[in-house]
Order: sequence, then structure tokens, then C-alpha cells
Amino acid sequence: MTAAWAMVRHRFASFAGTFVAVFLGVAVVAGSATLHLSSRPQAPARYDQAPVLVTPPDPGTGDDRDRQSWTSAQAAALAARLDALEGVTAAVPDPWFYVQRLDAGRPTGDAQASLLDGHAWSSAALGGYRLTSGRAPTATGEVVIGTTAASDTPSRPSSTKTTSAIKTDSRPSETDRSDKAPQGTGKESRASTNESTSGTGAAGKALITTPNTSGAPTNGSAGSGSTTTGETGSGGPGNSGPASNSTGNGGAGNGASRTRAGTATASAMGTVVVLTSAGPEEWRVTGTVDGPGFYVTDRDAAERASGVQVIGLTVSGDPQRVADAAGAVVGAEGVVRSGAERDALEPGSITRIRWIGAQLLIALVTLGAFATVFVVSSTCALSAAQRRRELGLLRAVGATPGQVQRMMYAETALIALLAGLLGAPAGMAAAPLLADPMISTGLEPAGFTVTWQPVALVGAIVLGLFVALAGVTAAARRASRIPPLEALREAAADPRAMTPARWVVGLLCGAAGGALLAAMPSLPLATRSSAGMGAAMLLLSSAALLSPVLIVPLVRVVVRPWQGTPTGMLVREGTLTGVRRVASTAAPVLATVGLTVLLAGTVATIEVATGIDETARYPAADVLVPDGTPGLSAAAVTAQGAHPELTTRLLITHGDRTAGRSATGRGDALALDRLSAGELGAGVGDTVTIRFVDGAETKLPVAAVGDETSIPRRLVRQHDPDALTGMLVLRKPAVAVPGARSLPIHEFVMEEIDQEGRLIDLFLVALIGLTAGYTAIAVGNTLLMATAARRGEFRALRLAGAGTGQVLRVVTAEALLAVVIGAVLGGLVAVVSLVGVRAAVEDEIGRDIALVLPWGATAAVTTVCAVLAVVASAFPLLKSRGTPA
Amino acid sequence: MTDHGTPAVELRAATRTYGTGERAVTALDRVDARFEPGTFTAVMGPSGSGKSTLLHCAAGLDRLSNGEVVIDGVPVGGMSERALTRLRRSRVGFVFQAFNLVPALTAAQNVALPLRLARRRPEPGAVAAMLAEVGLAGREGHRPSELSGGQQQRVAIARALVSRPAVLFADEPTGALDAASGAAVLRLLREAVDRHRQTIVMVTHDPLAAATADRVLFLADGRVFDELPGAAGAERIALHIAHAQHTVVAR
Repeated sequence: MTAAWAMVRHRFASFAGTFVAVFLGVAVVAGSATLHLSSRPQAPARYDQAPVLVTPPDPGTGDDRDRQSWTSAQAAALAARLDALEGVTAAVPDPWFYVQRLDAGRPTGDAQASLLDGHAWSSAALGGYRLTSGRAPTATGEVVIGTTAASDTPSRPSSTKTTSAIKTDSRPSETDRSDKAPQGTGKESRASTNESTSGTGAAGKALITTPNTSGAPTNGSAGSGSTTTGETGSGGPGNSGPASNSTGNGGAGNGASRTRAGTATASAMGTVVVLTSAGPEEWRVTGTVDGPGFYVTDRDAAERASGVQVIGLTVSGDPQRVADAAGAVVGAEGVVRSGAERDALEPGSITRIRWIGAQLLIALVTLGAFATVFVVSSTCALSAAQRRRELGLLRAVGATPGQVQRMMYAETALIALLAGLLGAPAGMAAAPLLADPMISTGLEPAGFTVTWQPVALVGAIVLGLFVALAGVTAAARRASRIPPLEALREAAADPRAMTPARWVVGLLCGAAGGALLAAMPSLPLATRSSAGMGAAMLLLSSAALLSPVLIVPLVRVVVRPWQGTPTGMLVREGTLTGVRRVASTAAPVLATVGLTVLLAGTVATIEVATGIDETARYPAADVLVPDGTPGLSAAAVTAQGAHPELTTRLLITHGDRTAGRSATGRGDALALDRLSAGELGAGVGDTVTIRFVDGAETKLPVAAVGDETSIPRRLVRQHDPDALTGMLVLRKPAVAVPGARSLPIHEFVMEEIDQEGRLIDLFLVALIGLTAGYTAIAVGNTLLMATAARRGEFRALRLAGAGTGQVLRVVTAEALLAVVIGAVLGGLVAVVSLVGVRAAVEDEIGRDIALVLPWGATAAVTTVCAVLAVVASAFPLLKSRGTPA
Repeated sequence: MTDHGTPAVELRAATRTYGTGERAVTALDRVDARFEPGTFTAVMGPSGSGKSTLLHCAAGLDRLSNGEVVIDGVPVGGMSERALTRLRRSRVGFVFQAFNLVPALTAAQNVALPLRLARRRPEPGAVAAMLAEVGLAGREGHRPSELSGGQQQRVAIARALVSRPAVLFADEPTGALDAASGAAVLRLLREAVDRHRQTIVMVTHDPLAAATADRVLFLADGRVFDELPGAAGAERIALHIAHAQHTVVAR
């Protein structure tokens, strides 16, 4: 419609709010979606030359911690059968185990990724890795060490590795808390197995192996980037091999030392000091390979690994044909994966990182869309109210209500399209800039790169269009009912603030939000936080819609003290006759303050509750905890004079029922926890089948049914050699060991909580920042529009003898009043929601908790709103002072 | 000049009250009036006499509380908003005292607006010809803000006439103009009646403007109070007004 375009061109100022809101919304959505879509599960680069992968069958317990393994014998037998297939060049089992390089006694690299860093030499072929120097390992104690293959591991500054190591380290505890909590109390030691489930963190390993270019256990500076961390440089000559004479810590010298190291390797094979699940070991380096990882002899690897979970096939010919043939050979013994199915082998630790990142991105998209609707609807409503006369004229000269409505839609669609076409590329352009910060904050796995995502681009533009149209719906419907006679009214009095639709939708939103809140305790845990968020959004929408009703009494109360002054009177009357305008200003403030109070309050309340929860159950003692490692090695535990209390994961079968359970190695018989016993229908005296993580099966009688599942320690050692101890409660002063540190229990707990807290704070800052940004647009735009439209009114005030200062005072007081009203209403709604959230948490942990209100954050957000409001309302006034408006 | 076929507009016992109960105000009180095709009628009366209400109701901008309005033979009483809009756009033209034009659109776009809203493509040159007829040739691309008040009114007349309506309503068309511009606007309206047999109903308080019309209706207290031929001249018309006001006061 040409009229729409003409309107848009002519009155761009009044569409600016919509434009900016949609622009930002689309940018946020396009950027987030690009990041999200770029972050896909990917088969480890270690399997790049293995188009067909075979994994053991899914145990079918529905818990992704349960993975079935083959024993090395089973794997070898199966591999032999696969090897015989036509088109298969080689079928190679890939057993893996925990290895971390020790650098002057300090473990290096990413802790979680290191769980999958040890391999059998033959598996190097699956990634197409070749010796770059030396020879293959032939005896136990020999190793070929990886150099970073530039093709699959994009380099990044080494400074990030420390952070990411810490972050990833903290993560399992977050998810495992419920799992390990019952074991914790009053026990001599507490352990949790770090199950090396599947796949490999090929990308992450770049960090560890980069320094190994030298082919020696140097503490050297052959880091990937120009940044030198204290860690890299700190080692001194401690455990140097022959090649460690390269620069100790020179940033500038890195490139040179790397080249030198590369050529030096063949002649200077030394030893490497590593940490494994057994403890520190010194291996002889026999060669280097052009991929990441540590490669020992096949036999050595089989002994160290807890079973085999992948057999990779290198093929000559059509992978699909090979996969089909392999399927026939494997049968029920495993699952054949080719093509995209290979991506399911992404390591769990990486999946979890991506999952956390996805949570933030999803939250950003949801909030972005919500805020855009909010801003668009409030600016459109205001601009429609200001254009009543023009719209009336259109009606008078022959526009039907439908045509007026369509024109409003067309205008908004044009603006939204324009904003989207600019916003989506802006968001996409910004996405790659966020990749590195997201990696370093542990929201995306190392090596994450942003790729071109046309779906995100188009999707964001389309979403922006729909969101804007949704926002304008109410205003357009209202505008279509403007009578033609409106064209003849000189100064349109503020129309009725409450419409039936506003009542209906407002009350419906309120009821739905309240119902959702009330239903929270009965909802599954996983959906509670999103339910809380949804309830808050509904309640906030409801408050915004119904705010005109509440504004009148609130204004009367707030202005009472100043009633006698002329400013007080003007503000009061100006506000009460312009309820709609006040509501438009208050709405975004309401949403921001509400969301801030709710988000920050929920987190604070839960944090306090968790803090009580965690510190309450630990005695005043020291603990030995992993330090830059995924767990404590056996040596680290025995050095303290303690026995490592290992936990492992078991698949327990009784009859036709199978359950996956974490079990502690203790005593000399099998005990089942009550839940498992009930689930399996097994009682004392019944014989159950136990399948260990290494794939071995055994039948054991159930000796007892009690609080937890336990199995003789000897069996855990035997069948889960790669198991690590989570932490150890110390009875006497700690003996220093590599990869471990000791500290008082409560400090450790607080550290863990802090680490989680940092991540949560990051979420909070991102979400509140986004909302506050929208408020800025909305408040600024509304007030700019409103004040500009009221120039005539202010001129009359001045003619009546008010000085500029007095007019300014009236205007800013009105703006502040709107902010205060928005803040009060938003705060009230949030507190109501917060009480609901608290009830849900109390229900979950079974104890009363205190409601924590985030006064600081609330005050900050309200202040920002107030400053913006004052500036935005004073600006057009001061600007117009000189010109006769 | 009278033609006893179908009147362009007819009001029968037209009554319009605003508000309810004790605060009810009767703006029009059982008014009967016929506006024959090709005639130019001025409606006069003191403030609050109901002359604007008569115009709005006759034009279908406002609805009667009682009675009937027939535009070009079509009773508008039970019409839906949509049907009424369509009728207005095809049979009725408007010129208001001010704010006639959509500020975002050029003169030509404003003139073409009723046609475009009716999804009719203006005939090539029709809009330009219409603007030329009101003396604004060459101003097609100007926006309202670039035109003087008189020029804006002339664009409004061009827009009102472009769809060849059965009747053109003008509400104080010269009220916001200086004498010279006002005279030019009145000349245009007169020409439309004389040359194209356009029916015009004009509300005015200016006896000089009323003198341009064929007949003058006097309203007081929502009723038709008297009638004079326009030819009677501005002076007699002015006297009548004074008399009307006197009558109102006396009541």
C-alpha cells in the first residue's frame, strides 16, 4: 500500500521506537540462532577417516550416563569379523583412558577433555593421523604424542585454557549434585567416578598437546598463540626433557621455538610425565603424530581403558554399503552409525557445555521476542493515539475500518521488514565476535566456530515481522474504530485508557500466570524454571495491560505530599488526564523491574538455600580435591594413607528388567539401594546380573538392601580401571600430590557454589541487560513522542507564566512518576511470582527458605530507567525552546 | 434551479441527542430538509444551533438518534460502518475548515486518495486536471506543509470533487482563511455548481460566504428557523442572523 509507505517515510520519527525494537530483536534472534545452529553435535575429529562407526547397543535405561561397553576381547572379535567385510580397510577398536600431561607437577589442558586423551596406537588411523617423527610404540611405557592438527583445532589464545579448565571442571558437580549428595554425609571419603563415556574432545585436546610439539615433556612456551600464561612459564626446568631448553616464557619467541621444536623432535625423543588414573607416570616418547592425544600400545590401552565403546571402520568404497553390511554382521551386538548418526558420538562433556550455552541462547531469543512485542505494542498504541485525527480524516474521506487496520499493519510490516533486513545481518555479523567469549565462559566447547546459517537469517527476519505484527494488533484494531468525526476534533482528549479487550486480555493473562504459578509445585522439576519464567511474563503482561486502572489511585497517593504546589497540581492533572501515556511509559519499566526482581531474586533465593544445603552437611575438616584434573588419581588418594573409595556405573539386570546405577566400591558383597531393588523386583538372596563399564558381566547374589548400591571394591578396580576419585575427606594433613589440592570443606563447597554462581551471574547479566536495553528504547521513545506531541500544551503553560524551569520540572516529575509507578507494579508482580518460586523450591528441598529480594539490582535498573526517562522527556522540550512549535 | 426528481440529500424528522438523562442535549430536533441536485445551500446559525451536527448527520459522519437521512436515494440509517464508508466515498465529498489533507501525502496523492481507497485507478491525467481546475496546476508533488492555507483548501475541494459525488459538504471552508483566499475558495465552489451541477451544502457563519449560495437555511436550537435565497445579499442575511440570535435569547 503506497499510503503506508508514504506514512512511514513521513513520520519515521514515530516509527523509530518500533524500528529500533525490531532491529534489536531481530539482531538478538539472528545472532543467538546463528550461534545455536552453529553449535551442532559433531563426531570427534579423531574419527575423521572412519565414515562408519560401530558402538555397543544402547542399554535402554533412558539415562545417558549408562553406556554399554564391549570387553576388549569382545571388541577384538567383533572387529575381526568387521575387518573381513568387503570394502572395509580396517576395523579398529578405540579404547580410551584418562591422560593429562604434567608440567612441572601441574596438570595442563582441559580436565574434562583429558578423560578421553589416551588411546591405542592403532586407533590413530581412524583420524588419519600419521607419524611425523620417530616410530610407533611397541612396548608398555612407550608413547607417541600428538601435535595439534591445525585442520581440526582452530587455535585460540592459550590464556583461555585455564578458565575453561576450571569451568568445565565445575560443571559435572552441578548436574551430579543430586546424585552424590546422599553419599556425602559423615563418610570417610566420598568418591565419584568420572565415567569416560564416549567420544573424545578432540578439539579441546589441542590445548594439551600444543606444547608437545617439541616432542619432549617441556614446560616450554610452544603455546599456540602469542599469549603466555603464568602457568606455562612457571615450571622452570623441573621435569624437562632434552628439548626444554627453549625459551621459558617468551611471548615473542613462540613461533620460533615451535619451528625449532618441530625439527628437533626426531633426534630428541625424551620422556613425558603424565597423570593417569593410577597416578603420575613417566613414559618414553617414541614418536609424534599429527593429531591430538597420547597413543600407547594396543595392549597397554586395553588394560588402562574401561572397556571399548567404539569400533571405527576405515573403508574403501561406498560407506553406506559398508554400513549396511556391517549392520548384518553386528546384529544385536551393537549399533552401526554412518553419516550424521556418527555425530551422536560427541563426548558428553561437550554436549553438556553446548547445552548450557543453548539455555542462554534460548532464553535470549524468548526474552528478545517478548520484549519486542512489548515495545512495539506500546509505541504503536501511543502513535495510533497521537494520530487519531489523521486516521479520522482517512475514515472521513472513505477509508473503511478494515482499510485503516490494514494500513497500520502495512506500516508496521514495512518498518519490521526494514528493521529485520538490517538487524539480521547485524546479528549474524556480531555472532562470530561472541564465539570466543562464549568459549572462555564455558558456554560453548573449545574450537567452536560460527558458521553461515541462512535459516537463522531468514527465520529471524520472519520472526521479527510476526512479532511486530503481533505487537501492533491491538493498536490497529483500536485505530480502525476511530470515528471519522475525530478528524474535526482540534485537540483529541486522551481517549479512554481501558478498553474491553484490555480488560479481557489483562485478566486472562493474570489468571493464566496465577494458575501456572499455583501449579508449579506439581510440575516436573525440569520444567519449573521455564514455567516460572512463563508465569512471570504472563503476570507482567497482565499488570501492564491493567496498569491504567491502577495508575489513577497510585498517582493520587504518590503526589499527595506535593498537592499544594503548582508543580504537584500540574503533574497530578497531567498524569490523570494522560493515563494512557503514563501507562505506555510505565509498561517497559514494569517489565524490566519485574524481570530483574524475579530473575535475580530467584537466583539469590536458590543460592542461599543451596548454600545452607551444602555447608550444613559437612564436618569441619579438610578435603583433597582435583586441581586442574577431572578427578583424583589412585596415587593421590593412597598418598594420604586412604583407600580410594571408587564409584562406578553398573547395569543391573534381574529377570527382564535392567537399571543403571552408580555404585560405590565397598565391602565384599553386593548391596542394592531400595529404589533399585524395587525397580528390579530383586530382594536379598536373589541373583542379579551385573554388567560393568568394561563390558564384563557377572552374576552376584544380593546380600543386602539398604541406602545405597555398593559392590566389592576389588571388582570396581578390576572392571573400571580408569575410575577416578571425586574427592577425599582428610583425617590428617594432606600430602602434596600432583593434580590435587587440599582445603577446608566449606571453602571447597563455597568455591563450587561460586563457580556455578559465576555462570548464573553471567546469565543474569545477559538477560537483565537485554531487558534493560529494551526498556531504554521503550521509555525513551515513548517519552520523546509524548513530549514532542505535547509541545502545544507546554507552550500554553509558558504563556500562562511558567518559566522553562517550571515546565521542565513538571515534565521530569511526570516522567519520574511514570517510572516509579512502573517500578512499584513490576516489583509487586515479581514478588508475587517469587513467592511462588520459593514455594516450589521449598517443596523440592523440603525446608523453609528465606525470600531474598535483590535490592541492589532493582535499584540499579530503576535508576537507569529514571535517568533515561528524564533525559528523554526533557530533550525535546529543550530542543524546541527556541523554535515556535 | 430546482429539480423535483430525487433529492441529493434528504433529512426526515432528523433528531440527534448527545448524552443521556438530565444531561442530554438535543442538537437536532426533528429537522426536515431537502437538498436538490445542482443546488448550493448555505446553513447558518449561531454557535450551538446544530448546524455542524446537521452537516455531519447529513453526510453520514454521525448517526441520527431518530429520523432518517437519505443520500442520493439511499437511506443510511441501518447501514453498517463499512457500507456507510463506501457510500460516503462514492457519493459524498467533504471540505473541513482545516486539517483536510493527510500530511504524509502530496497534493496529487491526497486528491487521488478517495479513488485509491475505493480501489479505483484514477484515469490518466484526471488528478492533474482536477488540480488545474482548482488553480493548482504544477503543484501535484507538493506536500500540505508546502502549501498555503488557501491552497490546502483548494486541494481539499479538488479531492472532494474528484469522485464526482452526489453532494459536497463543506464545514466552514473559509473559516481559517484570509478574505482573498476565502473568496477564491467560494468562487471555486460556485463554479462547481454552475458548471458541473454539483450539489453543495455548506455550513458557515460568514454572511458573505452564505450570499454565494442559492439558498440559506437558518438554524436555531436544533431547528430550521428560516430560509432566504442567497441572492438576498449578505446584508439581509446578516440581519437574519442577528434576529435569530435575538429570538434564541428571548426564548
